[in-house]
Amino acid sequence: MPIKILTVDDSKTIRLIVGKAFRSFDCEVFEASNGVEGLAVAAKERPNIIILDLTMPVMDGFETLTKLKSDPDLKSIPVVMLTAESGRENVLRIAKQGVRDYLVKPFKEELIIERVGRIVDLKPKGVTNAKAKRFDDPLTVLVVDDKPAISDQIIHGLADTPWSVQGRSTAGEGLDYCNKSVPDVVIVSLNLPDNAAFTFFQMLRAQPKTKSVPVFAMCVKTASDEQARAQQSGFTGIITKPIDFDEVKSRIARSLNLDTSYKYFEHRDGVLWIKLPANFGTAVANEVTGQLRPKIAEAVDAGLGKVVFDLALLKTADVTLIKLGLEVLQFCHEMSLRSRMVGSGTVAQECRKFEETKDWAFAPTFEEAVAALNGKEAVPA
Amino acid sequence: MIDQLDELVTQAVARAFDTMLNVKVAAETSDATLWNGEPHVAGSVGFIGKLTGVVYIYSSATFAREITGQLLGLKIEEIEGEEMVNDAIGELTNMVVGQIKSQLSDRGMPCVLTIPSIVRGSQFVVESMSSTTRRFNTFKCGNHRLGVETLIKPS
Repeated sequence: MPIKILTVDDSKTIRLIVGKAFRSFDCEVFEASNGVEGLAVAAKERPNIIILDLTMPVMDGFETLTKLKSDPDLKSIPVVMLTAESGRENVLRIAKQGVRDYLVKPFKEELIIERVGRIVDLKPKGVTNAKAKRFDDPLTVLVVDDKPAISDQIIHGLADTPWSVQGRSTAGEGLDYCNKSVPDVVIVSLNLPDNAAFTFFQMLRAQPKTKSVPVFAMCVKTASDEQARAQQSGFTGIITKPIDFDEVKSRIARSLNLDTSYKYFEHRDGVLWIKLPANFGTAVANEVTGQLRPKIAEAVDAGLGKVVFDLALLKTADVTLIKLGLEVLQFCHEMSLRSRMVGSGTVAQECRKFEETKDWAFAPTFEEAVAALNGKEAVPA
Repeated sequence: MIDQLDELVTQAVARAFDTMLNVKVAAETSDATLWNGEPHVAGSVGFIGKLTGVVYIYSSATFAREITGQLLGLKIEEIEGEEMVNDAIGELTNMVVGQIKSQLSDRGMPCVLTIPSIVRGSQFVVESMSSTTRRFNTFKCGNHRLGVETLIKPS
């Protein structure tokens, strides 16, 4: 649901400026040119917030505010005054009526966005209803670190993604970047001087444009005090050095709720093909597990009755893999799906060492597994 | 208070133009060249209370359109008719006079503002009563000039 903002001002210019200020947010801006119209629109639309002028014809801001606050249905709507009159007497008089904030003209658009954003949850347009982004969609990752070598390392580490990494060496430069263009993710070094990473984080969270952007703190593994402080401050997560880039990609994907399923799930030749990558580990296992049930349900909906669980790229089998394999087979059983596994001889041998997996059988290729599922070749299940 | 009027006006104009239009204005010493035969727009807002007065802000019609475009984030050709310009200049005048009024109120001279109004013409002469103090300040804004006329008297 978009946030409803009502601007009550006799100046069309101000109403247009307010509308322009919130254009990039998921908002609906309603206008009224005096208090009488304002009360009528408020009663009809029930806005989430009202931005109210003071000096207006027909009914001024004082009277409008009094009527709003005496109406049981409207009194809880937060009101922000936006007026050219900043005299102490006026401010005190209005404060007594219970306004949430008081802005004085002239004003910057950024100021009104910031103040309104403190009261209602402003979300950039497109965020709420946007189709989920995929892992292979372009993203911008802002890295703020005073050591250029770290930014270079991250650029290199994420080079196999279509993501653009923007390196900045100070918190100030990082904020300048965010003011011009909102990044999808921020990684900031906790080693910036004067606790700048924490100030930077707080400033990002205070701005409606950036308050939902995932911000990761970065430090060495052993800096446990800094990590604890970052966690308490509300950072999205901690990235430790030396950096594990598979882990970083996975955490960025999770923080942005990126669709990674295409990497592991595919409908081909009438079967659901679940394929694990060569870099399989806990991060990948978590991603696959999280998508397993909906993807199997989706396959059943699409009329597929068979599953191939493909471990061909894996060189070894560990407990994480075995747990995932058991989960896949359990889901297939629950949904009455026929399944076959694909894997190398080494993986098959390792599986034989475990009680739960000693009977697992593997086809050497996807095609042979499909053939077996179609009854053309016998591969023991 | 009245002797500080020039300073109050200068601060108010500078702040309104800087904040709303991102334009720096520079106070000038003379109003001799403001009227050049070009059509002008005058926004006026009055204040009534212990001190009573009115402030006019004069700008050329061309500059007024530029101000409107800048305020609303529009290209000049996107500005529809004079109504939009009138409203923008009226609001800018309101912002300038609002600051002056607030300063007066905080110094024990409370007053209320009137609704902005607009006059258009090529040369304006405001004749005031003998007890009225009149100030005319001019400002340079890039290639344009701006005149601010203040008429004020104790009630």
